Amino acid sequence: MQLRAGPRSAAMMELWRALGALGEAPGPEQIRLAQILGLPGRPEPHEYTEIFVLHLYPYASVYLGGDGMLGGEARDRIAGFWRALGRVPPVEPDHLTTLLALYATLGEHENAEREPARRVLLAESRKALLWEHLACWLPMYLDKLREIASPCYRAWGEMLGEALWEALAQPGRPDALPLHLREAPSLPDPRQVGAGAFLQGLLAPVRSGALLVRADLARAARDTELGLRIGERRFMLDALLSQDAPRTLAWLEAEVRAWIPRHLAHRDAVGVIAEFWAARAETAADLLARLAAEGPD
Amino acid sequence: MDTKALNQRVSAARRDAEARGETFYPGPSRIHLASFPPKERWDDWVELDSKAWPGRRVEKRYMLVPTTCFNCESACGLLAYVDRETLQVRKFEGNPEHPGSRGRNCAKGPATLNQITDPDRILYPLKRAGRRGEGKWVQVSWNEALDDIAARIRRAITEGRGNEVMYHVGRPGEDGFTERVLAAWGVDGHNSHTNVCSSGGRAGYHFWMGVDRPSPDHANARVMLLVSSHLEAGHYFNPHAQRVIEAKQQGAKLIVFDTRLSNTATHADHWIAPHPGSEAAILLAIASYLIRRGLYDREFVRRWWNWEEYLACEHPERPATFETFEEILRGLYASYTFEFASQESGVDAAALEDVARTVASAGTRLSTHTWRSAAAGNLGGWQVPRTLFLLNALLGAVATEGGTYPNAWNKYVPKPIYVPPHPTTWNGLTWPIEYPLAINELSFLLPHLLKDGRGHLEVYFTRVYNPVWTNPDGFSWIEMLTDERLVGCSVALTPTWNETAFFADYVLPMGHGPERHDLHSYEQYDGQWIGFRQPVLRAARERLGERVTDTRQTNPGEVWEENEFWIELSWRIDPDGSLGIRKYFESQREPGARLAVDEYYAHIFEHSVPGLPERAAAEGLTPLGFMRRYGAFEITRKVGALYETPVPLAELQDVHVSRFGRAYTRAAKPPDPNIVPLGSPEPDAEGRRPVGVRVDGEILRGFPTPSGRLEFYSRTLVEWGWSECALPTYLRSHVHPGALEHDQMVLISTFRLPVQIHTRSANSKWLDEIAHTNPLWIHPRDADPMRLRTGDLVRVETEIGHFVVKAWVTEGIRPGVVACSHHMGRWKVQGAGQRQAMATVTLGRAEDRWELRRERGVAPYASVDPDTLRIWWTDVGVHQNLTFPVHPDPISGQHCWHQAVRVRPAGPGDRYGDIAVSTQRAHEVYAKWLALTKPAERHSPDGTRRPYWLMRPLRPSRDAYRLPDRRTPEPAPVAGE
Repeated sequence: MQLRAGPRSAAMMELWRALGALGEAPGPEQIRLAQILGLPGRPEPHEYTEIFVLHLYPYASVYLGGDGMLGGEARDRIAGFWRALGRVPPVEPDHLTTLLALYATLGEHENAEREPARRVLLAESRKALLWEHLACWLPMYLDKLREIASPCYRAWGEMLGEALWEALAQPGRPDALPLHLREAPSLPDPRQVGAGAFLQGLLAPVRSGALLVRADLARAARDTELGLRIGERRFMLDALLSQDAPRTLAWLEAEVRAWIPRHLAHRDAVGVIAEFWAARAETAADLLARLAAEGPD
Repeated sequence: MDTKALNQRVSAARRDAEARGETFYPGPSRIHLASFPPKERWDDWVELDSKAWPGRRVEKRYMLVPTTCFNCESACGLLAYVDRETLQVRKFEGNPEHPGSRGRNCAKGPATLNQITDPDRILYPLKRAGRRGEGKWVQVSWNEALDDIAARIRRAITEGRGNEVMYHVGRPGEDGFTERVLAAWGVDGHNSHTNVCSSGGRAGYHFWMGVDRPSPDHANARVMLLVSSHLEAGHYFNPHAQRVIEAKQQGAKLIVFDTRLSNTATHADHWIAPHPGSEAAILLAIASYLIRRGLYDREFVRRWWNWEEYLACEHPERPATFETFEEILRGLYASYTFEFASQESGVDAAALEDVARTVASAGTRLSTHTWRSAAAGNLGGWQVPRTLFLLNALLGAVATEGGTYPNAWNKYVPKPIYVPPHPTTWNGLTWPIEYPLAINELSFLLPHLLKDGRGHLEVYFTRVYNPVWTNPDGFSWIEMLTDERLVGCSVALTPTWNETAFFADYVLPMGHGPERHDLHSYEQYDGQWIGFRQPVLRAARERLGERVTDTRQTNPGEVWEENEFWIELSWRIDPDGSLGIRKYFESQREPGARLAVDEYYAHIFEHSVPGLPERAAAEGLTPLGFMRRYGAFEITRKVGALYETPVPLAELQDVHVSRFGRAYTRAAKPPDPNIVPLGSPEPDAEGRRPVGVRVDGEILRGFPTPSGRLEFYSRTLVEWGWSECALPTYLRSHVHPGALEHDQMVLISTFRLPVQIHTRSANSKWLDEIAHTNPLWIHPRDADPMRLRTGDLVRVETEIGHFVVKAWVTEGIRPGVVACSHHMGRWKVQGAGQRQAMATVTLGRAEDRWELRRERGVAPYASVDPDTLRIWWTDVGVHQNLTFPVHPDPISGQHCWHQAVRVRPAGPGDRYGDIAVSTQRAHEVYAKWLALTKPAERHSPDGTRRPYWLMRPLRPSRDAYRLPDRRTPEPAPVAGE
């Protein structure tokens, strides 16, 4: 990776911090920030809960971990990154807001640093954070956010996306995949590991290449005209499959396959990362297609 | 989308909000990687009650009231969470508005809660009922106590015995309030603890730069060099430690000299564990390396060292050129090789050279710090800071970003409402004639000076001070305090029981940190700030609209605060104003009425703190209201190299420039609201005041030294008989290996535990639970021959007695050296006293021989605090200081703490905690050290007792400096003379 610490490379830190602040539950400061940024409406607590508590959990480990859940190795890796910076990892080191705040902090330190060598070191740290821990999941996350969020948070996501694309456009794109993705396990075959592990994998974005939120599963029930049972995503999915596995698998195949072009749309910005995600989606979709074709067993 | 415009819009909004004093980003969030309640919500802050969770969700509403911590000298900001329902403090957390601590605290800050809720604290004024030390007390009214004490003081003053009134302070916690009280009384009665603490450190800095304290800019350093763990694990722990870590995060290197593997040493890139007392030898080897290799900042040395004066005085035959000086300089330190330093310190020469290379790489970003430790441990220890600062002076890292500043430039002491004149007397009990260059009072010699018949004390106050326990030779203190011929009335001003209070006549309860007013400013970075300690319940009630006129109205029991106490006492000493005292304690708003603390501080904040009135007005507050609301104010930052500042033309009238460039002027000194203490160089022969120094043709502000420059060469030391110490040099310690018997080791007794407070943590249950004992650190190489294992009892023999303690066998200490923290070993005889960390003991005395035997440790007990039933520890350590004789350094006056000891396995009759001492032997050791001095009466160059330019707490008038005329007999040793 070739890095240069140019005058513009660490710009926009105020915006990054402000966008990070808006990722917290709305309070007076968030409302003020939304006004300053010209977001439509104001961030409402129920919208925040709907998006961040029920659908799009703002933790990197959910999208990068093999289990698709909070914590685990993905969070440990991010905590290790904090430690490598000489910082004590916070309680939730992989929370989106925390990562955005860290990005802003590193950029501010970089801007304040007078010594060229240290400035480069800080720039490297910031870019490592960007590529290793943000660029590898945020494009997909924001893509989904745009689909399900209220106008205020949708606009917030678009702003964050814009800041992200600008940062990613700076020189220094790495050639290698981030470690999170290199180490990511693939989607297991239910015929070998059983249905439980398969369903768990399907709901783990880094294995399936797709992001299936509760709203998607509700849509699946509508599209397939099957009964929707409210519960955790795995419970909901299990209920659909138990009613009509081929139809559910076919729906899932189409849903997952639809993610391929969505990922590839980010190829210019994130390169091999987008290709990784697209490949994961394609592999998963193919497996789903085979399973659908094999029938209800 | 124009993200740049959005970024600018947010920045502009943030700047506007912050200019209005508002919080922009949410406080308790992940945004700033920290959690602070936004200040706009400090009046009504809601948190869930942790004790109700998870069963119930209960909201607690708080008023957040700032104050400052009083558990060390850092004065970190605290926020008291005052429950709006009960108006009780529920917890203390950091104050994000405090520029020094920036919202962070060490363990001692939150533990303030333990102190104010301590079930054993003193709540009412007490008067002795039996013999001194018998433990019998009766509760008295404040009026009774004040009237008695005031009458004694009035009598002493009116009978010309004013110096028989002495105020002995440990932790001042304020900037000069009580000194001014004593000045108003006209007595030279200030006595500090400093000579058992930092005067060795102060002396080294003072002789260099005319300011007695350093201010290292750790946060911006490239290399940090700390001689001792004490600083960043004890004093200024929190404000410095956070900046040390910041610098490390930016890639700075940390070098720590510490014989012991301290907390600070564990963070070091270079940990050097020298033989105690050899630190200056290492520092000079590093200096020699810089000089030999030409790695020093020539231009800085040429402009700012007083090399011309040195050459003129010491090498008048040589050409007065800088090149000559450089040649001599190389020769002066040529013998300080790494091999020499290795031989002295026991540290590998290659490791020392490695450190030297790291130091050399710092350039002007070398922050250095030493305070107690080696400077307080060794005979000649004051040369440790002097040789340490030599490195800064060589690299030009003086008042640079990342360098070390004179503290006075990073400190702000606002001028108060009244400044009484200097007392006209000299107190020989605190400033004995043998120690003309001592930087602070020879406080720890008091029992010996009184035994020698040098005076008598009519009223002796101790305040946040516990000399029986803290000072060396505590049994001599007990002998002094129990002898009514020596001390007429002893008054302990203390919030909590201590070993000195047990022997007092009055014990008067004073508030803990959140129960009192104080104003302070400390050097913690390159900036100036003031912090305001306030009684938080008083401030909370005032926020609710109540009017409080006396802090006792909101403090528990009849606990008072000292500001109001001293004002009231002064009125009672001089009720009609005839002594000229009362006028300094009268209201200006209401002439004839007592000065109230509100008026006292309002005056300061309105008139003496630049920028504060404007900042307060921007928020619609009065300056006092602002300080009550936020607790701190930053006056300026990035002060920079003031010595390079040109002196304004207005200050240059009828200028005279001396041979070496010192510039004097007839222009009056412009008024300055910052009255921070500095050296006060003498005027010229025609009475012009020193104003600056001529450097390369320009008159610059320079340093407050006689030469106006950094004094590599101290003419003061030469003129007062110490020419061998005129330059930064290495003096072999009294514990140098060559001075030890073959079976002796060095005992380091000065190190702190980061969670403890010298003498005031016995009532902090959280802290006591973490650290409550002080085993003897001993290396396996020393322990094995004695077959000692961890937990075994050892007897440690000093010059005057012994103590029995448990061993802790560890490789974290240098072989040949043992160490025992001074924090522990609190005790009480019977009855009153702390029960969480004080052992119960018996004292035995036969003539000069004293014994202390531990009867029992601590145990659970029932109280209003259910936690006292959960006390699980019994061991509270051993009071080693009782067995140390006094070791006053003949120049700095510092007590040299390190002890040459013999360590043996305990004998059959030895019990844990046993102490035995001969006070006669202690007096003999005192006499031996006294003989090292060069008294003013024989060595004064000008007939004075002390160089006038040296800083001195409560400086007397110039006349008082004159030595008594030896042609006539000296008056009888009364009045403290």
